[in-house]
Amino acid sequence: MNKGNRKNVSTIDEYEIRLSGLYEEYYDKIARYVYVHIDNKEEAEDIAGEVFLRALKSLKSYREQGVPMQGWLFRIAHNLTIDYLRKMDKRRTVPVDSVVLSGNDNPADTAERNIEFARVTEAMKQLTTEQREVINLRFFGELTSKEVGSVLGKSDGAVREMQRAAIEKVRGIMGVEK
Amino acid sequence: MIEDFDRILDECIDRINSGDNLADCLSDYPAYSEKLKPLLQSMHDVQKTYTFTPSADTKRAARQKFHAALGKQRQMTSVLPFFRIISRPPVWATVAVLVLAIVSILVIRPILNPPTLVPSPDGNFAFLISDEPNDIGDFESLNVTISTVGLRAAGSVKRFEFTPETKTVDLTQLQGEQAQEIWRGNAPVGQYSQVYIYVSEVKGKLESTGQIVDVKLPSGKLHISMPFEVTVDTVTSFTFDITVVATGNNGKYILKPQIGDSGVRQKQKPLE
Repeated sequence: MNKGNRKNVSTIDEYEIRLSGLYEEYYDKIARYVYVHIDNKEEAEDIAGEVFLRALKSLKSYREQGVPMQGWLFRIAHNLTIDYLRKMDKRRTVPVDSVVLSGNDNPADTAERNIEFARVTEAMKQLTTEQREVINLRFFGELTSKEVGSVLGKSDGAVREMQRAAIEKVRGIMGVEK
Repeated sequence: MIEDFDRILDECIDRINSGDNLADCLSDYPAYSEKLKPLLQSMHDVQKTYTFTPSADTKRAARQKFHAALGKQRQMTSVLPFFRIISRPPVWATVAVLVLAIVSILVIRPILNPPTLVPSPDGNFAFLISDEPNDIGDFESLNVTISTVGLRAAGSVKRFEFTPETKTVDLTQLQGEQAQEIWRGNAPVGQYSQVYIYVSEVKGKLESTGQIVDVKLPSGKLHISMPFEVTVDTVTSFTFDITVVATGNNGKYILKPQIGDSGVRQKQKPLE
């Protein structure tokens, strides 16, 4: 729908309907996005739920100025994640022996997956903060590069460039380690 | 050259995120496939490592909490202005008269003269197509042929499918507030969670050159997950918003559903 026209007819009611509509599609994506940052599935799920409650409370302040509503949800998710990390006074450090991935009872498979998890985590840690954010929003939030640009205040071209550089870096680290 | 590669990589990521597979994307860009494959494979490994499906129970509980908060907020929005008005004594009497008048219209009149429920021959469900104008300006026409539309019942594998009466829509005519109704009829009453459309053909003609261009559709269908209800005594109009996005300067485009602009109760002006 045309953004210019919509700006005139947009109301809180319409925003509420749109926010409800985004719940089913974005709850899982937001939970994954948060999980990558905090390494705790249960807390990531709670934060994903909290994102929608915060968004609902803040709908009056939401303005469609280049940031689509789904991008705005990820901004809220980002802020809640930062709050959480501050509260926990924790940075993402994942020693291999502390990682427990559920759903597999075979100790050999579990150990292998733990090693893979630590390897990927280590590679992600080598990225700059912005590169990591681009990767998280593109691959876990499944936003388009244009939407990522609106969240980060970058052009979509800049996002594409950061994305390629980030993936090459991850590939380089993981490839060498493999 | 690097910019081209960035765009192709970006397109492949979009396509994979939309359900397309890696091999299809690589086969579309044979010149780049050797460079693309290891990068996309690495990111697939990263995604696989972190990916998890949130617990259905937690999601359900969070949904209930969200809807409860939404209901409370709507209630407050409608009640607050009333309290503001009654807190001003001089307006009290006028409000009381207005309330009595409204009550008499809404409650007493229907009791004395109950409305007759006439079954609508037009059905209880209408399906419309609209377009969020991302790159639609590049096209003179963009005809999308829809073979089937499906509604998936909430919490069930049951599906209700129908064939549109109007099968082909030109998205260039459906920009902004424009929407075209392609089907109207009776849908089973109940809660639904997903709408999907199967697209059999997409033909795009460029505005600038008149050239027919390739418009991709990941996985042959577009779907939107969104809860809504179909009832017996109202017409539920669902607008499915589709957008076309350029994947770079290579003349390629993809069709995507636009969930933020789709849904029920959106005010659309039917195409004249």
